[in-house]
Amino acid sequence: MNIEDIKNIVSECDIEDNKICVKSRIYDVIKCLKNEYSFKILKSITAIDLGDEIELLYKLFSVEDEEEALLSIKVKAEAESVVDLFDSARADENEIYDMFGIQFIGNEDLKRLYMPENWEGFPLRKDYIQDDTRLAWNDDCNNA
Amino acid sequence: MTTATTLKLNLGPQHPSTHGVLRLILELDGEKILSCEPDIGYLHRGMEKMAEGLTYIQYLPTVDRIDYLAGCFYSELLCRTVEQALGAELSEKVKIIRVTLLELNRIASHLLWVGAFLMDLGALSPFFYAMREREMILRYFEKLTGQRMMYNYFVFGGVRKDIDYLEDIEEIINVLTKKIDDYEKIITDNPIFTARTIGKGILEPELAFNNSITGVNLRASGINYDLRKTDRLYEGFEFEPVILYEKDSWARYKARILELRESLKIVEQGISRLKAVGKLDQKLINPLTIKLPEGEYYSEIEAPRGLASIYIMSKGEDKPYRLKWRTGSYYAVNLLRRLLVGEYLNDAIAIAGSLDIILPEVDK
Repeated sequence: MNIEDIKNIVSECDIEDNKICVKSRIYDVIKCLKNEYSFKILKSITAIDLGDEIELLYKLFSVEDEEEALLSIKVKAEAESVVDLFDSARADENEIYDMFGIQFIGNEDLKRLYMPENWEGFPLRKDYIQDDTRLAWNDDCNNA
Repeated sequence: MTTATTLKLNLGPQHPSTHGVLRLILELDGEKILSCEPDIGYLHRGMEKMAEGLTYIQYLPTVDRIDYLAGCFYSELLCRTVEQALGAELSEKVKIIRVTLLELNRIASHLLWVGAFLMDLGALSPFFYAMREREMILRYFEKLTGQRMMYNYFVFGGVRKDIDYLEDIEEIINVLTKKIDDYEKIITDNPIFTARTIGKGILEPELAFNNSITGVNLRASGINYDLRKTDRLYEGFEFEPVILYEKDSWARYKARILELRESLKIVEQGISRLKAVGKLDQKLINPLTIKLPEGEYYSEIEAPRGLASIYIMSKGEDKPYRLKWRTGSYYAVNLLRRLLVGEYLNDAIAIAGSLDIILPEVDK
């Protein structure tokens, strides 16, 4: 994998350890990696709540070269969807929407997955309310 | 889109053939499936959220529950990540014990799949045969670890106690080698079985890549990708990854049968090496003081249902800041949207069953 190709797409691109951090246009970067370098598997998308923003980690894998690429982007509330590049992204993005409340632009099927449809709040966020009165074990704080 | 001539069918969530609580919303034109929409989340236990509130040793017993048929693999993942982060080296015997038990666990998991898959197709007897053989393995695990399915046997830096009752494993190998031949005799070339599986649910490699399918399902589509080949734990063990090129449900069945034989080979090697290495010598990590240095950690393993991986972000505290599991079944469920379209309703269960989906692993 040639890092210059990514730099042609996004001018700002840092490399920390084995992680390629971009600031924008993640869709174009992943498309380039998929088409030019045969990274045909998107192993997973991981979201991490860093407090004021959310980091998305894309782990791409090439079976032919047995090579991995790790991409990172930090987003606030919206991100570009890669669902038309990888079917599996539908599952990952839906999970991240359910747990972190990130809207993926271009993914039409986002819905509540594990949580009930009318659930408020996103459990894996660090500011998720712990004394939620809907939760049975918070009865004590309901009575207080 | 629903028109006057199509029918929406709600398959599950509670049905003997949906393997747990999977709900498929199918749209049918006659008996042909036009679209499939999986609905998951009935077994969600919040494994990732729970990790943020527990120390590593408190979390360790719960991870077996992610996949209750192959709990060892998830214990191994968590232990491995913590060991790597703290720079702990495993002794030779611990490595061999772990490989032996992982493969025994894989055999138990595949055996249950063989039985359940045949039951999906309407054949009841193989289920009882497979459960009978699986019972031997579960009995052994119970004898060794005190638990039939959630072993909690691997700990940070080693295993809970030395392995024992090796003669039981030898007995399992002897019996299973013959029994797998029997399975093949009654199943593999059975005309009813082949009529329902050959050419059904064709999984082209491109579709598999696109849907992040790994493990046996990918290898049955002709792709040589077995993580055990590059796994350092498996160093010194000889086996051949099972690659088949038929791409259909039958290939996925056959690949698992062949994989059973390969796993037996690994267990056999494990036994003979265990006999040679002598007493257990391990340096356990004190579980009460575990604090991972600040940073990100990632490990992966070849689980029975495809690639399983763990991601931990630590802020230097005794609890993980963020922990994520990647499980194979989660993507296999997503694949059903594509794989079932154009097939007939009576093949839907057969195809879904052939992917080896297990719901606790999907919902986490």
